[in-house]
Amino acid sequence: MGSSSYEKAKPSKRSAQQRIIAPISPQLRRASVLSLLAGLIWPAQAALVAWAISGWVMGEMDRTLWAAGLFVFGGLIRAMLDRRAGAYLFGAADQTIQRERELLITREARARASTSSAEIAALLVQKLPLLQPWVTRYYVAMTRVSVLPLVLLGLTFYVSWAAGLVLLVAGPLIPVFMALVGMAAEDASRKQMNEISTMNSMLMERLSAMLDIRLLGATERAADSFAERAEALRTRTMAVLRVAFLSSTVLELFSALGVAMLAVFIGFSLLGEITFGSWSVPLTLGEGLFVLLIAPEFFQPFRDLAAAWHDRADGLAVVAELEELDSAERVRFVGSAEMVAPLPGELSVSLHGAVAALPGRQVALPDFILRAGQSLAITGPSGAGKTTALAAIAGLVPVAHGQVFVCGGALDDTSADAWRRRISLIPQTPHFSDHTLREWLDPEGHGADPWPALTLAEARSLVERLPDGLDSRLGQSGGGVSGGEARRLMIARAVLSGRELILADEPTADLDPVTAAQVIRALRRLTDDGHSLLVATHDPALVEAMEFVVEIAPVSPEQEEAL
Amino acid sequence: MKSLLPIVRLLISASPWSMARGALLAIVVLLMGAGLLGLSGWFITATGIAGITGVGIAFDVFRPSAGVRFLALGRTVSRYGERLLTHDATLRALAALRVTLLRRQSSLHSRALARLRSEATLTRIVSDVDALDGVVLRLLLPALAALITQVVVFMMMGWLTDWWMAWALLAGYLPLSGLIFWWLAQQSMVPSVNVEANAQALRRAAIDMLRDRQAVILGGVLGQREAGLLNMDSQSRQAARKLDRAERSAQASIAFLVSVVAGLALIVGGYLVAQGVVSPAVGGMGIFVALALAETILPLKRGVAEVGRMSSAAQRINESLQSSIAKTLNPVNTDPSAPLLVVNTGQLTLTLNPGDTVALTGASGSGKSTLLMQIAGLEACPIQPDGSASLTIKGVPPCDWAEPALRKLVAVVPQRSTLIAGSIRDNLCLARNASDELLWKALTAVALQQVIAERGGLDAQLGEGGSGLSGGQSQRLCLARGILNRPELLLLDEPIEGLDAQTADQVLVGIRRYLPDVAILATLHRSADHAVFDRQVRLSL
Repeated sequence: MGSSSYEKAKPSKRSAQQRIIAPISPQLRRASVLSLLAGLIWPAQAALVAWAISGWVMGEMDRTLWAAGLFVFGGLIRAMLDRRAGAYLFGAADQTIQRERELLITREARARASTSSAEIAALLVQKLPLLQPWVTRYYVAMTRVSVLPLVLLGLTFYVSWAAGLVLLVAGPLIPVFMALVGMAAEDASRKQMNEISTMNSMLMERLSAMLDIRLLGATERAADSFAERAEALRTRTMAVLRVAFLSSTVLELFSALGVAMLAVFIGFSLLGEITFGSWSVPLTLGEGLFVLLIAPEFFQPFRDLAAAWHDRADGLAVVAELEELDSAERVRFVGSAEMVAPLPGELSVSLHGAVAALPGRQVALPDFILRAGQSLAITGPSGAGKTTALAAIAGLVPVAHGQVFVCGGALDDTSADAWRRRISLIPQTPHFSDHTLREWLDPEGHGADPWPALTLAEARSLVERLPDGLDSRLGQSGGGVSGGEARRLMIARAVLSGRELILADEPTADLDPVTAAQVIRALRRLTDDGHSLLVATHDPALVEAMEFVVEIAPVSPEQEEAL
Repeated sequence: MKSLLPIVRLLISASPWSMARGALLAIVVLLMGAGLLGLSGWFITATGIAGITGVGIAFDVFRPSAGVRFLALGRTVSRYGERLLTHDATLRALAALRVTLLRRQSSLHSRALARLRSEATLTRIVSDVDALDGVVLRLLLPALAALITQVVVFMMMGWLTDWWMAWALLAGYLPLSGLIFWWLAQQSMVPSVNVEANAQALRRAAIDMLRDRQAVILGGVLGQREAGLLNMDSQSRQAARKLDRAERSAQASIAFLVSVVAGLALIVGGYLVAQGVVSPAVGGMGIFVALALAETILPLKRGVAEVGRMSSAAQRINESLQSSIAKTLNPVNTDPSAPLLVVNTGQLTLTLNPGDTVALTGASGSGKSTLLMQIAGLEACPIQPDGSASLTIKGVPPCDWAEPALRKLVAVVPQRSTLIAGSIRDNLCLARNASDELLWKALTAVALQQVIAERGGLDAQLGEGGSGLSGGQSQRLCLARGILNRPELLLLDEPIEGLDAQTADQVLVGIRRYLPDVAILATLHRSADHAVFDRQVRLSL
């Protein structure tokens, strides 16, 4: 999970504060106060226990029931306060994740950046939840560490200055160790996370190639090499963990020895063998027990904070990624992609000196006119702007200069949605979603019979061949259909959408001549059927099959400079 | 819950010894923690009494104070050992779980194997395996350590203080914490599964929306899609909220239970002191030990909250491991006089001998690919009406062949093969190592030598899934990988689809020349009349 992003991540802490913490600071404050109150109950409980046990020595046995009752009551209040604080914290984290997810969901498809869809999905689903431990643990731990040790130190000093001194010396040492240990612990947990994610990506790759591995008779070899690599990873990870655990052991050792020393010191003071260090000489039993009970709690907030330290680092890394995505260059489409009535008027498209605005560059588009029922090929070398021309006509990229006229009017925010109701686009690379083929063919849910469209696109037999027919799920890899078959399915999808103008981007690219001919036949049938057709291609056979041709000249260096 | 048993067995058997030592140290840590607090409490109370009664000089302070130091040090050191051992054991178990999964998944039938290429399936398997990683470290070990520690502490307290005190601790902690965890497991059963399922659904839906963006915009349904995703998000957060509430309630109940048991120990201690059964110092040990025992049950919470997710993951993994085809391991008695391959189904009659080159044609959907998988033993063999096998290789049906022998004999290059990340050499040598000379010969046979040489030779790196080569190039690399094994029977599924006519010709001729004595059966929907083929057979519907 984001080990690489972690390294490059250095968001300004102020902006992270502004973005994530400021909106939820009321909840965080409330939770911190509740958690502090809960922490302050413990000294009172400790005092009750000390009071009861010292009563036993003095023969005051009736203290016991009172003390036990109040102790349990204190425990109840403490548990309830912590539970309430947890509710505030969960609410704060939930609100944060909801806000950030909403931002991503409603922005990324509207204005696309160059970030891959898998990266955005990972951010949305795996990384945003990493904000939760940061929000829920770090701030409360910070508040507790700045108050509770001071209070407990004060109480210890009140009883015995020597005992207080032991804590005072051990206390400031801890942040020093914490810096060391926090980093090491962070490294350790991250190492283990990385180990697991490396093993998982190895597993995924081996599994996805499993059919081939089996057919090659390489199963045992693949399993053995996996085991070998996993073993090497384990040895490396353990070497790191040995050091990391050692440093956290040193921290534990300090607090354990601190408490043990304190216990021995108190014991000797109670016996009267040590006569310095306490205000009342000798120290009373109740005082001694009280100090013994609160001493471990003096160290606890430091350890909590050390544990929460890497949550904060993870959270900041996520914020850095969010900020990077915020500042990415984006292309907005024209209109708002809402369902409106189709644009009226006879179908026509024309480009007049249009220049498309892509992130960081502008692409000049050819001038042409296409009327209802006509077919036209835009041709030219790779990178000349064929795909961009189709996108501009569909209103997927805006134009910086010039005009795109559709059905006699300009293509702009007011007309784009209605215009798009009359066109369909066949992209170069298919994407089969996680839906059944039936749903994929008819995303708007018209409920029309898909078979005529499949027949027209010469895709009928391939669908019949699929194990579950129209109910097959082709999934992201398009499992089970070849490139040519996928193109024909997309043509069927375009037909089924009932749109008049069909835009096709390189529909015969990477196909062998026989399959390409099938696709061209299917496209021809579209025009015979009354559709208008606009293809971007550099396949001479396809150009040949169209009525009109527009050629885009390669961009000359002077032109590029002029733009 | 029952579904977890096979997984637990598997995880433990990966390294039973370090797991056992880790568990032992975990118990030692807990016991020393209880001992440390109990001894310190006793020591201070006892010294207090000695101080009051003025027998301070006679009091043996050195042994108890040495004990306190020993326990404090010993606990820290044991903690270090425990962490190391359990992490080591867990890492071994992680690897073992994945290796077993790999081995067993490989014996699935061909369609299930092909499904493993879908990202959704892979993501699910990986998420299941992740869930199972915690079974031992977060559930089994802490539960075992807690139980044993509680029992040992019970015996010690009974022996050192009084059985009343021992019973108060055991009866206070065991049944009630068991009840709380049972409740938590019940409450989190559904949400813990939903949290993961919703996350995966949201992930897929987000990828779908972004990859299908143009169609979504053209369809005017972007707003709907976004609303759908927001709805999924709210469902996933709702499940997380339920899970969080259950966990917080369990946490609060346990914290309160600790107070109750400590209070109980104080009352029992006071009663025993009042009765004169024990001294105040011994009576006070109870509450200290009760507080220390909180450490035994608190770590269990996280594991218990995941029980639902773990057991549903275990169920799926177990199921997927069971659906494989049973394979014989015994060597088979082949018939030396029988032809290499005989196919005699209702659709096709074919006999193939070494050196034959046959094109297999047939309409889409007639089952050409399935036939190849049946010959390769990855789909169940069809049976003739009289009960005899309709497919035999050297007289033996493919499913009766031992796996290694069959793989040596038969090579199949499926229509859409998968490459892996790594060098060209890694990809070619997936099955066995071969010298550079042999590798180049195989590459030359599929007209790929120039492409690979231009890319930097055999050590040129390919990206994830073999990215970096064009479709036609990866297809030819897979062909080279298939022929490198020098099988006796080579099955090619659409070997030249997507290749231009000239390359297709080079590939067909090149393979034939590379393997002159091998029987080749290739499915084709064009060029079946190519000169390389001796004959054509057609698969009727």
